[in-house]
Amino acid sequence: MKLSVNRNIGAVVWIAGLLVPLVASNSWISILSIFAIYAVVALSTDVVLGRAGMYDMGHAVYFGVGAYVTAILNVQYGVPILWTMPIAVVVAAIVGMVLAAPMVKLRGDYLLVATIGFNEIFRMILINDVGGVTGGPDGIFGIGVPSVFGYSISSQEGLFVLNWLLLGIALVLMNNLDKSRLGRVFRYLKEDELAATTLGVNARYYKILAFGLGAGLAGAAGTLFATQLATVSPSAFVFMESVTLFAIVIVGGQASIPGVLLGTVLMFVVPQVFRDLAEYRYLVFGLAMIVVMVLRPQGIWPRRNRPE
Amino acid sequence: MDIFLQQLINGLTVGSIYALIALGYTMVYGILRLINFAHGDLAILGAFIGLTVITGLAGSGGAPANWIVIVAFVLAVLVVAIAGVLLEFTAYRPLRNAHRLSAVVSALGASMFIQNGIMLIWSPQTLTFPEGIMPQTTYNFGSVVISATQIFIVTVSLLLMLALYLYVNKTRFGTAIRAAAIDQDAARLMGINVNKVITSVFILGPALGAIGGLFIGVYYRQAVFDMGWIYGLNAFIAAIIGGIGNIPGAMIGGLLLGLFSSLASGYISSTWQQAIVFGLLILILMVRPTGILGERVADKV
Repeated sequence: MKLSVNRNIGAVVWIAGLLVPLVASNSWISILSIFAIYAVVALSTDVVLGRAGMYDMGHAVYFGVGAYVTAILNVQYGVPILWTMPIAVVVAAIVGMVLAAPMVKLRGDYLLVATIGFNEIFRMILINDVGGVTGGPDGIFGIGVPSVFGYSISSQEGLFVLNWLLLGIALVLMNNLDKSRLGRVFRYLKEDELAATTLGVNARYYKILAFGLGAGLAGAAGTLFATQLATVSPSAFVFMESVTLFAIVIVGGQASIPGVLLGTVLMFVVPQVFRDLAEYRYLVFGLAMIVVMVLRPQGIWPRRNRPE
Repeated sequence: MDIFLQQLINGLTVGSIYALIALGYTMVYGILRLINFAHGDLAILGAFIGLTVITGLAGSGGAPANWIVIVAFVLAVLVVAIAGVLLEFTAYRPLRNAHRLSAVVSALGASMFIQNGIMLIWSPQTLTFPEGIMPQTTYNFGSVVISATQIFIVTVSLLLMLALYLYVNKTRFGTAIRAAAIDQDAARLMGINVNKVITSVFILGPALGAIGGLFIGVYYRQAVFDMGWIYGLNAFIAAIIGGIGNIPGAMIGGLLLGLFSSLASGYISSTWQQAIVFGLLILILMVRPTGILGERVADKV
């Protein structure tokens, strides 16, 4: 009962968000656009980290794969933006699963370090322009404008609606994951892998699947990120971004949809608003991470464990 | 062959620095099962404190006297050890019974805090160490050059590691440290003050790290506020290669990693050096995740 109330509130907030462009200024619309994209990436991180319980500190890789797939296909091959999205999703999911396959057997901290390694190698591949398609340290410019049924979406408002729609889809997916068998399997694996295995859960299969799902969703967000900025460069997908995504999930609350959204606001939107603090920003940011964890170790808005 | 020997010498130098820093990671992980992400930044804090002491006492002209260099090392060790204890007390101790990832995020926050603190106190730019901190003598064997600095770094590092090894293995308190790393609860039942052990580890680790950090400074003669994370990451990789929680493992892992990355940059590619190091790490994790000498970590229930 409580759950459906929460869900309805969520739906109302989402629809209200859709109307924001009618009243807000352009800078706020673009901040909300970025929020929507990062919220999707954070939710996708949560699939791997918060739900399946695997310490993934390289999630920016899959986000970056999606963004670069869109950039390369659109700029070099002229593929329309929205057509690149399914390809970005599939490629990111495959990368996620291939990288995860030999690693998921590792204990948490080792997986964490291995994913940091993936992120560093990914950054070096981008910067050194392997294959001559990534554009090196400068990245790729001039990504086109998406069009729907012949109408091109070039305004901030239009892009915002597109991003907000993806966020809506991601929220519905997460909500379904909460209620589905798959979601319960993930949770079981996280809580007690041995017990889950004893009951016939193929741990390896589901862990790789979690990486595939998380990476695919991050890939979709990558497409919209490339579109929103009209450019991609390596600096958006470095280790620090992965750390921020990791922190969003833990600070917000693992496997908690409102928690992850709140975490995204705190870690991505607040720093955008407080640009004036400039050089003190990360000092305060680091301190805030410690303080929040000490005061609320389980996250600001933790998941409530409810009877099934 | 000469290139090989030269890279070997360079790798040994860097490797012994990695080993010094890796010890801090491995001791903390062994007892708390926490990756202390701030450790690399603490080590670099040591470099900056050393730099300030040296430039402050020696002025701008001429080579600093030996006693100034010694004071620099002592002060760096003291300040960083105090910072390490404060770090444990404020950011990790309250989270000891919380979910493990809360402490990881706290450690990441601490890393950012220290890194940006260094930037605000000192400079966002790269700072240079004055000339002549170390003796300028070099020894030539054919075309292989060994500098006195390198000999100094390797010798002091090996002596410190030997001292730590003896302390942990031969003294009463060292036994307590090892006991706490095997089983905290049993250690407590045997009357060991585990809190004291943890505090001591947060003194020893950062102290050794500070020396490693200042070695980096005097060896490359420069320091920049954000270099802690890459040195820290390499040192942590060294600890994993040797077997996390394993003190001799961290020493061997550090030396091996130094040699490997130095040879990789000499023979394969210096651009890809760091990627190759990560590749090695991933390979080791796939084949032998417990490291070369095997991991030794507490069973935390």
